[in-house]
Amino acid sequence: MSIRSQGTTLFAAILVLVAAAVVLQLWLLTVSMEALLAGEVKTLVPAAAGSTLLLVVDAGLLRYVFRFDRDTRV
Amino acid sequence: MRALGKVARGLPIEWDGDHYVTRREMVKFLTLGSLLLASANWITVVASKLLHRGSKLERQIGLVSDLDRDGSMLFRYPTEQDPCIAVRTAEGKIVAYSQVCTHLSCAVVYDKAEDGLFCPCHHGLFNLQGQPVAGPPTRPLPRITVEQRGDQLYAIGMEG
Repeated sequence: MSIRSQGTTLFAAILVLVAAAVVLQLWLLTVSMEALLAGEVKTLVPAAAGSTLLLVVDAGLLRYVFRFDRDTRV
Repeated sequence: MRALGKVARGLPIEWDGDHYVTRREMVKFLTLGSLLLASANWITVVASKLLHRGSKLERQIGLVSDLDRDGSMLFRYPTEQDPCIAVRTAEGKIVAYSQVCTHLSCAVVYDKAEDGLFCPCHHGLFNLQGQPVAGPPTRPLPRITVEQRGDQLYAIGMEG
C-alpha cells in the first residue's frame, strides 16, 4: 500500500475520531447548561475538564496530521 | 474577453477546487469547534460561580420565642421576594431554608408529624437537613445560616 493511500485511510479515521470527540463535547455542553440552570454546580467542573481533555485529543490528532504531511512531503 | 480567459487560466485555484474541502481542512475546522466548545464549558463554570455566590447579608428575622411557640417561623431573606422558613429541630438546633421547593417552586411548610418540610403541591418531603427524602424533588433546599443573639434571630448568610 502506498504512503498516499495509507494517508487517505488514516485521515479518514482521524476525521471520524475528531468528529466523535466534538459530538461528545456538544453533549457535555448541553449537560453543563442544564446543570447550570438547575443549580447543580458540582457537575460543571468535571464536564469542563472532560471537554478540555477531548480538545487535547483533537489538537494532538491535528498535530499528527500536520507532521504526517510534513514528513511525507520531504 | 480573451485576456480575461488567459488570466483565469493562470489562477492557481480552479472553480471546482474552490468548493472542495479537504479532510485536513475539516479536521482543522473541527478542532477549532472543539476549542470553542471547551471554552463554552469553562464559561458555564465561571457563570455558576457568579450566579451562586450566595449571600452574606445580615438581617434580623424574628424572635426565638415566636419560633418556639409556633414550631416554625416564616421570614424573607436575602430580599423581600425570597420566602424562607426556620424550624427548631428535635435536638434544639435552629435551622432555616428557602421556602421555595426545588421541584416546581411551591412553598414548603413544616410538617411536625413527618419532622420535615413538606411541599403540598406534589407531596415532596425534605428532612431537616434540607435533603429531599420523598416525592419528586431531587435537589436540596438552599440553606440559610442563622445566628441567635439573645431572643433575637439573625440570618447571616445563604448557601446554594
